[in-house]
Amino acid sequence: MKERFETIRDEALARIGATTDLKSLDEVRVAYLGRKGKVTEILRGLGQASPEERKEIGQRANTLKKELNECLDTRKNTLEEQENLEKVQSENIDISLPGRGIPPGHVHVINQISDEVLDIFSQMGFQVAVGPDVETEYYNFDALNTPDDHPARDSHDTFFVKPGVVLRTQTSPVQIRVMEQTPPPVAVVVPGRVYRVDLDATHSPMFVQMEGLLVDKNITFADLKGTLMHFLHTFFGKDIQVRFRPHFFPFTEPSAEVDILWTARDRHTGEMKSKWLEILGCGMVHPEVFKRVSYDYESYSGYAFGLGIDRIAMVRHAVSSITHLYDNDLRFLEQF
Amino acid sequence: MQISFNWLKEFIALEVTAHELAERMTMLGLEIEAITEPGKEISEVYVGQIIDIQPHPDADKLVICKTDVGDSEPLQIVCGATNMKVGDKIPTAVKGATLPGGFTIGKRKMRGVESCGMMCSTRELNLGEDHSGLMILPQDTPLGADIRKLLGLDDIVFEIEVTPNRGDWASMIGVARELAAFYGLELQLPKVEINESGEEAGSCASVSIEEENLCPRYAGRILRNVTVKPSPPWLCARLMAAGQRPINNIVDITNYILLETGHPLHAFDYEKLAENRIVVRRAQQGESITTLDGESRKLTEDMLVIADAKQAQAVAGVMGGADSEVDTQTKDILLESAYFNPRSVRATARGLGLVTEAAQHFQRGADPEIVVYAINRAATLMQELADAEVAPGILDEYPKRQEGKEIKLRYARSTQLLGVDIEPKKQQTILSDLGFVSQQSEEDFCVVLTPSWRHDVNHETDLIEEVARHYGYDDIPTTMPPIRQSDRVFAPVEKKIRALRRFLAAQGLTEIVNWSFGNGENEKKSGMTDQTEHMVMLQNPLSENYPGMRTTLLPGLYATASYNHKRGARSIQLFEMGPVYHAVDEKELPEEPFYLGIVLSGIAPEHWSEAERPVDFHDIKGFMDTVLGHLGYAVTLKQLSNSAFQEGQGAIVKIKKRQIGYIGKTALAAAKSYDLPESVFVLELNLSKLFERPMPPAQFKDIPQFPASLRDLAVVVDLSISAAELTSVIKNAGGPLLKSIDVFDVYRGNPLPENKKSIAFNLVFQSPDRTLKDKDTQKAIEKIIKKLQQQHGAELR
Repeated sequence: MKERFETIRDEALARIGATTDLKSLDEVRVAYLGRKGKVTEILRGLGQASPEERKEIGQRANTLKKELNECLDTRKNTLEEQENLEKVQSENIDISLPGRGIPPGHVHVINQISDEVLDIFSQMGFQVAVGPDVETEYYNFDALNTPDDHPARDSHDTFFVKPGVVLRTQTSPVQIRVMEQTPPPVAVVVPGRVYRVDLDATHSPMFVQMEGLLVDKNITFADLKGTLMHFLHTFFGKDIQVRFRPHFFPFTEPSAEVDILWTARDRHTGEMKSKWLEILGCGMVHPEVFKRVSYDYESYSGYAFGLGIDRIAMVRHAVSSITHLYDNDLRFLEQF
Repeated sequence: MQISFNWLKEFIALEVTAHELAERMTMLGLEIEAITEPGKEISEVYVGQIIDIQPHPDADKLVICKTDVGDSEPLQIVCGATNMKVGDKIPTAVKGATLPGGFTIGKRKMRGVESCGMMCSTRELNLGEDHSGLMILPQDTPLGADIRKLLGLDDIVFEIEVTPNRGDWASMIGVARELAAFYGLELQLPKVEINESGEEAGSCASVSIEEENLCPRYAGRILRNVTVKPSPPWLCARLMAAGQRPINNIVDITNYILLETGHPLHAFDYEKLAENRIVVRRAQQGESITTLDGESRKLTEDMLVIADAKQAQAVAGVMGGADSEVDTQTKDILLESAYFNPRSVRATARGLGLVTEAAQHFQRGADPEIVVYAINRAATLMQELADAEVAPGILDEYPKRQEGKEIKLRYARSTQLLGVDIEPKKQQTILSDLGFVSQQSEEDFCVVLTPSWRHDVNHETDLIEEVARHYGYDDIPTTMPPIRQSDRVFAPVEKKIRALRRFLAAQGLTEIVNWSFGNGENEKKSGMTDQTEHMVMLQNPLSENYPGMRTTLLPGLYATASYNHKRGARSIQLFEMGPVYHAVDEKELPEEPFYLGIVLSGIAPEHWSEAERPVDFHDIKGFMDTVLGHLGYAVTLKQLSNSAFQEGQGAIVKIKKRQIGYIGKTALAAAKSYDLPESVFVLELNLSKLFERPMPPAQFKDIPQFPASLRDLAVVVDLSISAAELTSVIKNAGGPLLKSIDVFDVYRGNPLPENKKSIAFNLVFQSPDRTLKDKDTQKAIEKIIKKLQQQHGAELR
């Protein structure tokens, strides 16, 4: 009896060891432990054996069954691992290949800058206002204390549409449009396209400006400085040096231009160089402007400023010519 | 305006370096555009005299000169110029000399003849553009003198931008006066020394002003027996440093005085003035004048002229006439120093299209009180440099004195506006240093009279600016204002536009910004001509390519796509957001709706895992669906046929009944005219119209509690029947339980007949209050099939 069990055992273990896949392993299991398997058959024949034999056979059969099950499990694990390994190996991919999905698009650098500037002023409490590109001379000049015979008009190289109508040369006319619509206080920033008859490496006939206007009680030149310093430090970095120097605009008094000390690598020599760059114009709203919109100059004061969005985009990104901004060459647009 | 540092020091005893001065001028509002040192690179150049000229043996175009530069031996110099003769004095660079541009002069052979130096033209000395010949110096120039000193080349020149309000800064005295006020220095005006002789001016000529408003003051002097000749080097040097070309001593002196005082003068040839009379009057109807530039100009009655007894001899304040021009034959001169109305000069200069130095000075507002000083300064120099005999007396017509303005300054107002407390005493001092004359001085305010050269000061706030400038913008503190907001909203859709821009870029589109100009021809080429007849035209366009303002974004999108294809881009996906311009009859200003345009051109974005394919209609429609879906709008397309789109692939985009744009495949003719490939697709939406009706906030609907029941339905229909038509039937027939309909497959080909296609839908049925059973959905499906059969001859596949 003992030999019979040992023969079955040796034979089964040999077959288990020889299996190479899960399917043949299962066949071995069925051949020994299945309903018609060799071990099962022995147990099934127990009824014909004596009680002593029955006990011994029972014990031996159960031991064998347990041993075979363990061997089967171990073999199964091994084979599963092998199969996984093969599967993984067969699925080997090149993870360096580009992913599937939308290739990146780009917001035009002018609008990236414009949005960033708007965000800074929005956080301070300014709201956005807009006005028309095709504008009356009244709003573009007269109401801004720039009458027809004012020399300041000469410097503007204005596009004319018809008598009394021009392409706005600045975003400032929106100051008037806004103040006409509301009593003080008012705090707006105005992004927009402006136009001048001029075209070379530093001038585009269309460019983008942003105007700012704040009118309330007790607004001072010191407030103007504070607001613009905050903007410039936020936009260009805390360490940027800023200077306000006197200038002239017909619709502000006192007026100033604001420069930053900008350090950049010289395109030709490769040396780092610092120089003062004009960034914006500003001043306290002129009493004549207030008169036009029936604001009380004695009770209210205000400041206005205007900055070239193209200009600060070019400064910050070291763009060499303004023409790049409007050529719309993808090799330019995709850099930002 | 170019300001010579050396010259400036003749007016004020400056003790600062040029660098410090430049800083200070900047901070006073005198913007420095450039600082140059004209003689920086020049050394070892001396006054030489040609003592011999011989032809070159081997070169027709060269001569051999012997030039004496004051050394023991004259230099032999081979020279290519032809304008010199023996005896001429020429700036001569000797061996070892350096010249602008890094030139060094050495001994060398020219066609076999040794040359030991170089005689210079004005351009070689950085004194002008003239390179046609040598610079010939006056005979009395001292031999051997260092040219740097002689011609004032050892100088520093500040080029300043004079703002339009400060006409007074366009002169040496004006700039010196500003700096004298700041540094607390005394302004030293150049001397006037005239020895009058001969007949009284008043008995040789007369001045009458007919238009007092246009010419408040007119002064004249008579100068006799002048010698018209070249000016001395120092004067030439001053003019050249200011960027002017010396002509002759008389003209040069008037130009010099203009630089010095900012006051334009004019010299008439006295003998050419009929009856020796000066009449300041309006031009007569039909009158014309030949101006100094040789042009005959028609005058109008609103223009002021300086006339003699017969005719106009000068356009007042703009340009003199050729008939009374000073030339080398001139003996006697009537010198004019006048003050003209700025507006009148400006209107005349503009009317004649004649922008002159004089007109620019007058239109900014000259100084009526400097009239006599300027004419006396000129007379002093003419006496000295042109041997003029100055007739006694000035013909000074000044009917009504031009008074300054009295302006009140409340000290507290300065503080209030500037945000810094400046002592009243300090404020007062600043103003008086600048020439404002105190009329009244109280504890909390003062009243000052503006100086005659300050036409820009009209308001209290102008005085406050003066105080601020001289107090120093740097010394005004920085504070943050509390920002209070109007309760009005000025740009309600601005935020949506900005968000949409980000969204579009996130969808893989790249934004372009085109100029807003337009061209009717290009719009025709693009086929999008809905609004072309309403194009806003420009009177003075930049070029023929941009005669007006765009009415559509399409031409710009096509041109940009084409530009980039030509530079190698194969897959183009661009968008532009911006205004277009539609003129409206009877309205002064056009409408400026804000548009969005998308163009797809060439192949779809490539990926290694997929085959290359051209973009198609469903790509552009996908963008439309995504954009409008993202914004919450449901759109419908209505097919159209127009010249912009290929037949069968163009549609109007509608939201309910409102048309908001176009979508389609670019017509082949349009694509070809822009050099574009065949597969180009565009979408143009009027965002102003889209955002006109804001979407109401979404209202929550209960999340379904019971499972949905999914059914597929595939039908075979004629090719001409659209998915939208079928969907509409399904929707109507499906009853309230049908929640969604999606196309999931479209098939053409075997075994279907050629004119048929199969379309398959996913249908979702769901009830809010129970789990649906098969028989519920089956009933709906049967009804749907029946309706599809009835209305579109559909067969179940």
